[in-house]
Amino acid sequence: MKVSPGALALKYFFVLLACAVVIYPLLWMVTMAFKPHPEWTTVAGLTWFPQNPTLQNFEFIFFGEAEGLVVSLDRTIVGPLIASLVTSICGTLLAVVAGTLSSYAVVRFGLAKTLPLSVLQLRLFPPLAVMIPVMVMWAFIGAIDTWWGLSLIYGIVTLPFAFWLMKTFFEEVPVEIEDAARVAGCSYWRVFYRITLPIVKPGLATCALFVFILNWSDYLLALLLTQKDWVTLPVYMATLTSAMGGQMYGMKAALGVIAAIPPVVFGLMIQKHLVRGLTFGALKQ
Amino acid sequence: MTDIKTNSASSRTKQKKQGYWAGVARDGNKMGFWFVLPTVLLLLFIVVFPLLMQLYLSVTWWTPLEGIAWYRAWEVFNWGENYWFQLTDSRVWRALWRTVLIMIIAVPLQFFLGMSLAYLFIDQFPGRKVFYSIMLTPMMVVPAVVGLMFFLLFQGTGPVNAHLGLPSTFSWLTDVNRAMISVIIADVWQWTPLMFLILLAGMLGVPSDQLLAARLLGGSNWQNFFKIILPRMKAVIIIALVLRAVECFKIFDLIFIMTKGGPGVQTETISLFLYKQTFGEFEWAYVAAIGLTILFVLSVIAAKGLAYMAKKSG
Amino acid sequence: MSSIQISNVTKRFGDFTAVDDLSLEIEEGEFVALLGPSGCGKTTTMNMIAGLEEATEGSILFDGQDLSRTRIQDRNIGFVFQNYAIFTHLSVYKNLSYGLEVKKFAKDDIKRRVHAMADRMSISHRLEQPAASLSVNEMQKLAIGRSAIMEPRIFLLDEPLSNLDAGFRAYMRAELKVLQHEFGQTMIYVTHDQIEAMSLADKIAIIDQGKLMQYGSPLDIYNSPNNRFVANFVGSPRMNLIDGELREEENQLKLMVQGGAEIILQGQVKSDFTSDGKVHSGSFGIRPQDIYFGERRASNDIAMKGTVEILERVGPKRLAYLQVLETKFLAFDDQDQLKLGDEVPFFLPPGKSMAFDMISGHRLGSV
Repeated sequence: MKVSPGALALKYFFVLLACAVVIYPLLWMVTMAFKPHPEWTTVAGLTWFPQNPTLQNFEFIFFGEAEGLVVSLDRTIVGPLIASLVTSICGTLLAVVAGTLSSYAVVRFGLAKTLPLSVLQLRLFPPLAVMIPVMVMWAFIGAIDTWWGLSLIYGIVTLPFAFWLMKTFFEEVPVEIEDAARVAGCSYWRVFYRITLPIVKPGLATCALFVFILNWSDYLLALLLTQKDWVTLPVYMATLTSAMGGQMYGMKAALGVIAAIPPVVFGLMIQKHLVRGLTFGALKQ
Repeated sequence: MTDIKTNSASSRTKQKKQGYWAGVARDGNKMGFWFVLPTVLLLLFIVVFPLLMQLYLSVTWWTPLEGIAWYRAWEVFNWGENYWFQLTDSRVWRALWRTVLIMIIAVPLQFFLGMSLAYLFIDQFPGRKVFYSIMLTPMMVVPAVVGLMFFLLFQGTGPVNAHLGLPSTFSWLTDVNRAMISVIIADVWQWTPLMFLILLAGMLGVPSDQLLAARLLGGSNWQNFFKIILPRMKAVIIIALVLRAVECFKIFDLIFIMTKGGPGVQTETISLFLYKQTFGEFEWAYVAAIGLTILFVLSVIAAKGLAYMAKKSG
Repeated sequence: MSSIQISNVTKRFGDFTAVDDLSLEIEEGEFVALLGPSGCGKTTTMNMIAGLEEATEGSILFDGQDLSRTRIQDRNIGFVFQNYAIFTHLSVYKNLSYGLEVKKFAKDDIKRRVHAMADRMSISHRLEQPAASLSVNEMQKLAIGRSAIMEPRIFLLDEPLSNLDAGFRAYMRAELKVLQHEFGQTMIYVTHDQIEAMSLADKIAIIDQGKLMQYGSPLDIYNSPNNRFVANFVGSPRMNLIDGELREEENQLKLMVQGGAEIILQGQVKSDFTSDGKVHSGSFGIRPQDIYFGERRASNDIAMKGTVEILERVGPKRLAYLQVLETKFLAFDDQDQLKLGDEVPFFLPPGKSMAFDMISGHRLGSV
């Protein structure tokens, strides 16, 4: 089947155009992260690549001050970075463990048949419509601005994804394998732990990475449930101010770059399973 | 993949039904019980109690400002005046309208762009893998960061104006009309790849030998697309549209960082309105009421949708 | 209707050569079978004729014309896939009418033709039903009808009968033959089943590992195989092929088989073996139906003696496996007289025996 060179050229044109559109904003932010203050706006003439590339912005957010800058930060990136890491990881653990165990029970034991759909409804509603009582509850149990408070809500809201993703992976394990193990004398727990889990290990990894991306990318929940100590990276980035005020584009861009890297890297790693995760198993690649 | 096997759909569901141990021994059910317990507890914790609390608060005048604990909200009981008020509150309706406006512009746009891109990626071509990965990147970027990116882009003194040859006084984010456009552009940039991903998966699911057969019978690419590929993608298209519509309704991060709902209230969607009520006015009881109404309406729509789907596939 | 000239066509997939220097002349209206074992390149060859693959080297001309510049959808080639590739989301009617619709035929015209073809294929009662609900047999008829309705210049069929049950297969063989005569189309039929090829085709092209082994009428191929592969492949049950070293001993030319058996060569087959002086090892071929028992019929019929190891009933006949030292001969016990364990004499007529060069596989002697 020969594709005419004209058609191929046209295809490349559109593909390259689309890629250019994709890259444009990303490139702008990345280059901004390395630009010194004067180059942040068109006032001095706008360029793509910094005339005087600098690590000043990164220095600034990590150490609170940098050479050549008069302003200083009262809080560096270190706290929020740790906050993002800790809450994302803990939230992921919670979601994946709960989701894996319950989806296995639904798939193999036929228990809680309404669970799949009821778990889905958690994703249906705008968070702000239902967060008031959550905020009140969290305040009541002293979970506001704590690592465990944020991890808890993270685990809950990403549970649906973990559940559905693992459900599809479990459904792909032939019952016969587990039956054979049962006949050989394994208890249900042994079958699950020693036979099924190893088989779905790649699925488990995918699920963990997927959920981690979702947790790390959260903005609203952290905004609502943290104040100072456990502010996560996205919130920190959005509200970056210094004692002197001012726009701080370069620093924000640097923060944006740092915040964006883990999800993009993980996302590309689990590319093959993205469709499955995002459509709750309705589609597979 | 041939779908020639007779009764393939029913044999697949049969397999699924047999995917679980039908006659499970007692200790198996016990383990199963413990397995589901954490999830069920979490669900109850996050659904039942908050719902009741929200119901309780929504019929009062309670606000956290006055320092009364929430459980004493009955002291400012108001017989559901909040519900009445929201019906006449033009801010609510306008916020809803703006949300819907964004949805009906952004989602179809993402759909057509995603479909067109997916069409380009059906056949192999050199570099396809790399281009594919690049195309997927936007939806993996943290939404708040996307907000920042477009915030930077649409600055008066930013690259968009510079590259379009517009003066630095030409504002996007603070202009009454163009703020909405900027936000929509950002949303389309971030989520078209999702449409692309889903629709492409759907397209590739069309059996290739049927496409070949159609070609050999004389069908052009265009004709085959509309007569073979598209009809077979009906389910996928619905999934893509529903998923995106639901998420678009919830839109918050992007707008909050780009315009904070401004200028004025030009880009204030329902989520932003609720936020302002929560952390601006601290009218928590009112927000509770509006929230429950939204919950109710969306649940009804979802239930209707599920019933319709069950009827179609039953 | 088209004639096809395949000239020195080679198809390579990376390091793997699927088709190697293949040349065939197919006349207008001929029914040609591409016969060979799985993976021999017959489907690849057919794909190249259809234009689904491009030849790495060589050319394929239709009535002398090169169609490689024409798009597939404009070539008007009928193609029936092995798994039929029915449009499962459409009705039977829509399947049949697809080709006509995309070529913008008038609605009434389409209706007329669809009904006519459905009648021919005996699926009229299914017209309004979803194509996916058809039985396998009906699907096959639909697949053929869908292509035939376009009256293509060439009809390509890729093992179309392999999914059908045996009884229906015989029926469809006849149907295909009738169809082909009616429309006079040039038909190319890919199969690994020699019975199908032998019964359906005007000419058979036997292909092995991408190379053309022999191209001729079924009778030619059966009676005069060009080489060892063809002799082995065509004929049911298989021809006995015994490999051995040629040796002159006591003024006789013998074929010394591994394990000790000896065949004393005589008559036609002896001169076949000696026709090429350079040959030292060869294969002796004789069909089971040509071996006989009882009294010797001609003076130079080769005499052998063997033990009856296995007796197998095949329909009305019985097959006997005769053990001569470490070699097995397969023959028909046409008189139904043999018993297990008997040591019986049997005879190989040299005129019906064939000689093959063991190294090159070529047929030796007069061909």
